[in-house]
Amino acid sequence: MIRKLATLVFACAAFTSVSATADQLDTVIQRGTLNCGVVLDFPPMGYFDENNEPAGFDVDYCNDLGEVLGVDVNVLNLTWGDRIPSLISGKTDVVIGSTSDTLERAKTVGFTYPYFVFKFQVISHEDKNIDSFEDLKDLKVGAALGTTYETEYLAYADKQGWGRDNYTSFKSENDAFLGLYQGKVDAIISTNTNIATKLRSKEFADFVAGPYVPNYDDVVGIIAKRDETAWINYLNLFLIHQIRDGNMNKAYNKHFGVDAPADLIQSLRDNK
Amino acid sequence: MDYEFHWNIVFQNMPELLNGAFVTLHVSVLAMFLGVVIAILLAIAKMNDSKPFCYVATVWVEIARNTPALFQIYMAYFGLGAFGIHLSPYVAVLSALVFINAGYLTETFRGGFQSIPATQYSASKSLGMTSIQAYRYIILPQMLRRIYHPMTNQFVWSILMSSLGILVGMSELSGTTQRLQSLSFRTLEFFIVAAVMYFVITKLVLFTSSLLARRLFKGEI
Repeated sequence: MIRKLATLVFACAAFTSVSATADQLDTVIQRGTLNCGVVLDFPPMGYFDENNEPAGFDVDYCNDLGEVLGVDVNVLNLTWGDRIPSLISGKTDVVIGSTSDTLERAKTVGFTYPYFVFKFQVISHEDKNIDSFEDLKDLKVGAALGTTYETEYLAYADKQGWGRDNYTSFKSENDAFLGLYQGKVDAIISTNTNIATKLRSKEFADFVAGPYVPNYDDVVGIIAKRDETAWINYLNLFLIHQIRDGNMNKAYNKHFGVDAPADLIQSLRDNK
Repeated sequence: MDYEFHWNIVFQNMPELLNGAFVTLHVSVLAMFLGVVIAILLAIAKMNDSKPFCYVATVWVEIARNTPALFQIYMAYFGLGAFGIHLSPYVAVLSALVFINAGYLTETFRGGFQSIPATQYSASKSLGMTSIQAYRYIILPQMLRRIYHPMTNQFVWSILMSSLGILVGMSELSGTTQRLQSLSFRTLEFFIVAAVMYFVITKLVLFTSSLLARRLFKGEI
């Protein structure tokens, strides 16, 4: 009887010590592995390199984060739509997946400070001669389903009274570029970074980058579970250090071939 | 699981979800109707003695039944696109579903036709019916009663498979759900509501079919 009671007391003590206040930061450190989600069809932020290994700006950030935590990094490939379910189901500890930090989304997930700023841009065949965003009025336009640029384009088209008949959405970034290549649409909207990467490939030799979506900066943050405040604080400090210690510039150089623009660094420092 | 459900965002977007549900319903109903018409022709072709007809029908059925629906929808959209034939997402999904429905139902119909004893036909002829009358009043009603369940199964399948329309950017129920959840990140809520909607659409279709069947077969199935 005494022995049974003792066992029970020990079991309870052991259980409470584990579940006391272990937050995500403790969990990752104790586990020794960081499960980091990245969208890998979005070069140069995330893609598979020639050895079929995950690579890109976001992947570098995962590895830098693993290094400062002193843990191994497990990069998980996500689609745009998988980002939240992966966090909620505990498959990922953090998603470094170029996530636009809208206030609507912030009701659901926890965002860090911004870590990158994109411009939304048009890409089309050079014959189309698109000089301004207004030229899209009578053209067939496409974008990847559920992206912020889709939302921005549709909002703009609605405001201008263009209607949605000429708009096509695609399942993924790759499908949008495939649709453009095949001529299903005349132009697609994507990020300036992805377009620059695609224009370097021989398939898109006859295509040109067009105007930016007017008056819009796409500011992205890292996301984690909304209630993991300590974890998000740590991630925020990590982002500050990325700039301070030069890792941000190193990753930028590696994937864009130039130093990070001063105004980008400044806007990240200002948390705009 | 530490997750608070926010249902109000789903209700705010209800009109858009219902639009998506409507697209799902009419693409699958249309695909079923066209599929049945083509399947009857293919079943007759398969039972025909003429080689070329039989050959075409067999190839159709084999391809439709032995390749994934996902692949067929992709081929209808991007595959034909590579040859410069551009179908709209709606038409691409519709034609893929018609293709598959026809393939599966052909076998169902053929089995149905062959399960009716030949003596039924001879008996109708000896009562002085023309062959069209024999089929219309004797053979078809018996056959339809026998294949009612396999047919409704196929119908439910095509409603659920239309969700693959998301692959080619069709704004049916799944596509709409995906778009709305990515704006708000309320994934679970939108998916749960969409699943309930699929359930309701399917039940609605089954209920309507059973009403129709009672009219047609004059009695219980």
